[in-house]
Amino acid sequence: MEMLLMGMCVAVFGMGIAAVAFGAATRSESSDSAAQPALSLVKADAAAHFFSDRVAAPPAVPPAPAWSVPIEVLLLQIENHVRMEQAAAESFVAYPTQALLHSKTSSPFVN
Amino acid sequence: MTHELLNGLSFDEAEQVLKLGTRLIVPSGTELFRLGDPADRLFLTERGRIRLTLPMQVRGREEDIFVEERSPGQTVGWSALIPPYRFTLTATAPLLEAVVIALPREALREYLAANPAAGYKIALNLAVVIGHRLQMFQTMWLREMQRTVEVRSA
Repeated sequence: MEMLLMGMCVAVFGMGIAAVAFGAATRSESSDSAAQPALSLVKADAAAHFFSDRVAAPPAVPPAPAWSVPIEVLLLQIENHVRMEQAAAESFVAYPTQALLHSKTSSPFVN
Repeated sequence: MTHELLNGLSFDEAEQVLKLGTRLIVPSGTELFRLGDPADRLFLTERGRIRLTLPMQVRGREEDIFVEERSPGQTVGWSALIPPYRFTLTATAPLLEAVVIALPREALREYLAANPAAGYKIALNLAVVIGHRLQMFQTMWLREMQRTVEVRSA
């Protein structure tokens, strides 16, 4: 009887150990499988975009300036702007008011 | 022709001042003086226009930017009477030739010293010319500053 009880205790103890070992093995596998893809994604992402998660810009090559207006036109715009500002300033100097000082210009150079 | 610098002077006084000067023809596109040049003559515009410009960097190259235009009767180059006697703008005759009377600084000073009554009127007229320029440019400066503030506040 004593031998039978001792055998049963050993069997139960062994099954417990086996169950714990199985559980531990199963838990570690599942956590590894869940974490691994995320780690690999982060690593891949970090390698592609160092500081930003946006799409990486192509290699920096200074673009050739593409001016929208020829310089002659630009200079003419500046001159017209100066003339319009002078007219506005003349109005203010002739009759100084805050409204005339801050009257809006229709100069295309600044609009 | 009435010159703003000679306002209030009698006919004889104005004639005496004008006789101090030399009539100059400035062909179209020619510079009357350039920024930084020694300013030893004051100019009274008689015919045509004088275009005043300042250099500015535009797209990496220096351009003469329009600042002001002087018409017949107006004064150009008052730096000749104000230290350090250097022109602070460049003056050019634009599309058409211009005619100016060049008044040498020393001759003008001697006349003003010898004729204090006329000198007083000329000094007042010069103050009007300089004061108008100051008022114009402080107004234009403030308007540009206001625009800069609005852009930066937007």
